Amino acid sequence: MKINKFALGAVALLLIGQASAHNRWILPSHFNLSNDKGEWVMADITASNETFNVDKPMGADKLEITAPNGKRVRVGSSYRGHRKSVVDIHLEDSGTYQLKMGGDASYWTSYQLKGDEKKHWLRGVNKLQRQGQLPKGAINAHTMESYANVLSYITLNTPSKGFKTTDKGLEFVPVTHPSDVAQGEQAQFKFIFNGQPQAGVSVEIVREGVRYRNDQNVLKLTSDKKGIINFTLAQAGRYLLMAEHQSDVKHNPQADTVGGQIFLTFEAVLD
Amino acid sequence: MSLLLSLSGVSSVSEAATELKLDLNLPAQSGEYHNPYVAVWIENERGQSVRTLVLWREGAKWLKDIRRWWRKVGRKDEAIVDAMTSATRPAGNYQLKFKALDDQLQPLKYGNYVLRIEIVRENGGRSMTMQPFTLNGENHQFTVAKSLEIAQSLFTIKE
Repeated sequence: MKINKFALGAVALLLIGQASAHNRWILPSHFNLSNDKGEWVMADITASNETFNVDKPMGADKLEITAPNGKRVRVGSSYRGHRKSVVDIHLEDSGTYQLKMGGDASYWTSYQLKGDEKKHWLRGVNKLQRQGQLPKGAINAHTMESYANVLSYITLNTPSKGFKTTDKGLEFVPVTHPSDVAQGEQAQFKFIFNGQPQAGVSVEIVREGVRYRNDQNVLKLTSDKKGIINFTLAQAGRYLLMAEHQSDVKHNPQADTVGGQIFLTFEAVLD
Repeated sequence: MSLLLSLSGVSSVSEAATELKLDLNLPAQSGEYHNPYVAVWIENERGQSVRTLVLWREGAKWLKDIRRWWRKVGRKDEAIVDAMTSATRPAGNYQLKFKALDDQLQPLKYGNYVLRIEIVRENGGRSMTMQPFTLNGENHQFTVAKSLEIAQSLFTIKE
């Protein structure tokens, strides 16, 4: 079975360490707003390694917007272009809205053929299904269950908390509220894996505008045993946080490894 | 508190009569001019607001532009926003007087504070001025240096 390289999702590619992966992000027009009559915001959705210039199209169909009261918000209108999708969102109530894509499991089974170093891939095939689908003579079969969360938070007036977690894969838990990250102030975020605080999560934080500087100035962090990262951003601006973690699992009939990725867009406000 | 009182022999609470005066100078600017949004407030040593003194603003939509005051104070306390509503003013000199009270109108305790003056102008710049001060029963006067959106101003504590 031949898999087209472009059919592979960015998630699996990055997790397995190949170079052609693209970051994905949601970039809202505003992160913090004030109004007593509700507000409109727009958000760009794209797959791009250039923070924050758009690159490849990514559909917005799976965008889930959760209102402060926990209810789902439908987008006002949307547009899908060749570089990005754009959605229009009406914020009715005061509080924090969560914008999220992904979160569903995807399965990737890799294998090799004798006398061939090359890894082959079966997309959407889990450990239970792979027996019937691996070609004869396949060796080193390995299945990954992968979760990716592409996230952003928008706050109208008073910030609210209480975002639900699914306790599957890698998830982001705000300690410092995403609307309260400010230039020069220490902030704290937390990562959980299958619902538990996860040590050793690799995190990278990049400020916008990489096209116009030589050094990306990536801030690299690793979560502590409570799953926490602490950081202080010297400059105000919009940032992309990327977090990644994977671990082997024993009692999962569907996979050998569970992996997760987070792409969180937030702003550090001017102090 | 009572222990402190008996040891020091003086009241640890600033007298209600303590007066704060701010001689605020908004500079004339060249080019397109919108009246600035202005917030003046007092933070304690931990950076928490204890009193909003001035809020000159337009509709709620623009409150977010007063970045620090909105993040630390305004968005968490609707009552203050409603209570403080006051129209914006043009460049000029403003002599403002306040009692040294907190938001609950109780006298501010002796201690260290920071006066913050945030001034933001649409299509203009922003100034975030910090003036540390101590309430200790004595008079003080501070010259507040000019920056983008504030001309040299004067802050006085009069017991």
